[in-house]
Amino acid sequence: METFGLLLDGVFTSLQWFNLALLIFGCLIGLFVGAMPGLGSVNGVAILIPITFIVPPTAAIIFLAAVYYGAMYGGAISSVMLGIPGASTAVATVFDGRPLAVKGEAMTALTAAAVGSFVGGTVSVILFTLFAPPLAEVALRFNAPETFALMVMAFATFVGLGGDDVPKTIFSILIGLALSTIGLDLITGKPRLIFFNIPGFLHGINFLVLAIGIYGIGEMLWTLEETKGKVQMSKLSVNMKEVGRAFGALKKTLMAMNIGSFLGFFVGILPAAGATPASLMSYGITKQLSKNSKEFGTGVPAGVVAPECANNSASTGSMLPMLTLGIPGSPTTAILLGGMILWGLTPGPLLFTQEPEFVWGLIGSLYIANFFTLVLNIALIPAFLMVLRIPFAILAPVIFVLCVTGGYAPTQSLHDVWLMLLFGFGGYVLRKLDYPVAPAVLSIVLGPLAENALRQSLILSDGSMGIFFDFASKPIAAIIMYIAIVLLIMPAFGPIYRKIFKKSPSKA
Amino acid sequence: MSIVNKFTVRRAEITVAVVLALCSIALMTKSAQNRITWSAEENMGAGFLPFYLSLGMLICTVLTIVKFILKKSPQSKDTSAFIDPEAFKFVSVTLISLIVLVFTIGYLGIYFSLIFFLAFYLRYFSEKSISFITIFSLTTPILTFLFFEWLLKIPLPQGISEPLFYPVYDFMYGKITMPIKMIFIVLTIFLPTALVLLINRFIK
Repeated sequence: METFGLLLDGVFTSLQWFNLALLIFGCLIGLFVGAMPGLGSVNGVAILIPITFIVPPTAAIIFLAAVYYGAMYGGAISSVMLGIPGASTAVATVFDGRPLAVKGEAMTALTAAAVGSFVGGTVSVILFTLFAPPLAEVALRFNAPETFALMVMAFATFVGLGGDDVPKTIFSILIGLALSTIGLDLITGKPRLIFFNIPGFLHGINFLVLAIGIYGIGEMLWTLEETKGKVQMSKLSVNMKEVGRAFGALKKTLMAMNIGSFLGFFVGILPAAGATPASLMSYGITKQLSKNSKEFGTGVPAGVVAPECANNSASTGSMLPMLTLGIPGSPTTAILLGGMILWGLTPGPLLFTQEPEFVWGLIGSLYIANFFTLVLNIALIPAFLMVLRIPFAILAPVIFVLCVTGGYAPTQSLHDVWLMLLFGFGGYVLRKLDYPVAPAVLSIVLGPLAENALRQSLILSDGSMGIFFDFASKPIAAIIMYIAIVLLIMPAFGPIYRKIFKKSPSKA
Repeated sequence: MSIVNKFTVRRAEITVAVVLALCSIALMTKSAQNRITWSAEENMGAGFLPFYLSLGMLICTVLTIVKFILKKSPQSKDTSAFIDPEAFKFVSVTLISLIVLVFTIGYLGIYFSLIFFLAFYLRYFSEKSISFITIFSLTTPILTFLFFEWLLKIPLPQGISEPLFYPVYDFMYGKITMPIKMIFIVLTIFLPTALVLLINRFIK
């Protein structure tokens, strides 16, 4: 009952005119960035975070969460109309969305995507409301060792479940952590890694510099290379009859909605997973369980609904560990978490008691944003199609302008803009060679928090690492640490498993 | 463009791994300028974490190099071009123009640098008319100025062009009523469009 009261407060907070205006604006921007090939929620949030400094934290998080949410809806538009995923989270939407558009049923695909997103979003936000308060209560009992163990688990999840090249994934985690150590050491006060004695390094590397570099500049270079400005748009007729027919086609997608919503939420909670694997997994499972699995890939609405339900559900799910444990569940929430630190908040369970307006305002806004995004998405389809026709050669320099100004604004130093360019180019090259870049962003955000937790733990234990593995005194930390170790060594068992069951890697 | 074709994914993989290994060694050396030891009595030295993190990075790059030599990674067997020549043009021109942009920001200031950057970029990559490019290149910096300096109160670098902005600041923070300020803002935003249209008419 108490939760319901707090939720109601949160809904009212997000309905205040200023917050509501930001929410609607955020949904619109989210839909736009989601729809643009090459831009996703993470890019939108990274580029826009500097402009949230002038509003209170609650309004800022409502705006950015709406961008995150809207982008999950918007990704489907370019997947269906152009055959290019608007963001990696909408890759699975192309599998059936594009064939539907080619068959002339683009409106069915777009409606399926919008309704799927709405259902996934609604189910996940209800689950979020139910799970968040008890989890935060448990997390309140966490001290430095448990916090550090949780962060190790977040890094280990990338290695165990990331599915990428293991040395490259670990390299990405370590470079993010190493970059986070640049600047003054908090305990000894000594300067660390001040290259060429450039004073700009003394204040450390702001996570935004890396995030905008990788997700702004790097992503744009990647998209310029991929698209070269050539896109093929499908034809679309928008009228009430088409919309009605599209809704009729959704009757057979109930199973896809269930799988997408629940699977998406729980996959979203995992630190390394996020919305992209959630959508791919739910597409795969829905296809496996469907009676018409052979029709998947030829244009069935369930093939659009499953991934769209899942990516929205996962985006909400990834906010659960961010708010309750201070551990981001996706690259976008890693940036949101960094934003909270910039706004002067301490991420973690204390937020629920110290900043209830912030937490419940965010949760309440998810309900409202879900509704507004559905309405805006369907109503503005013709407008988004016009936007998709803007040549990339015009859009790209505008995004570069936003990146340069966004990289400069937080610290007002050109040094950071140079670093951002360097990270952008570096991120682009590394991504081309299959180095995952998301772990680096997660690490630079969590790095200072993890270092603090580690050093505090070691002071508590007189320098003994045993504190993290002692079931008697710190059972939660020990359990989390052992799970992290299992996750870390899991990839080593892949080849052994395949040998035992005589499966080739390609078939597995 | 043959050099671009010859630079294969395979070659890029090993080049990048070696560069990253060298960077890791440089980081280790730099970290070692602080104490890198750790004991219960002395606690952790300031260089301890960066040193061992960079050591970990070095081990990862060595593993990547070993996988390359044993041809165990997909990139080590990929002999296709790292980047195709047409895409190379897009990426390299974009990168160079961005470097020039940031370089000129320090001297000319951000607003004038943006005008040149946008004009060059649009002229090079888009097929839009000179009028469109002029309007776009002038309006974007004006909007950037209004957004950052007026709305967010964040000053962006102005370099040698700073004195030109003094009258604007006098106006912004002067005793002028808000409606007049708003009219001025709207006029400023549409100024480039009006100018270009006027010039077009004059030339015709």
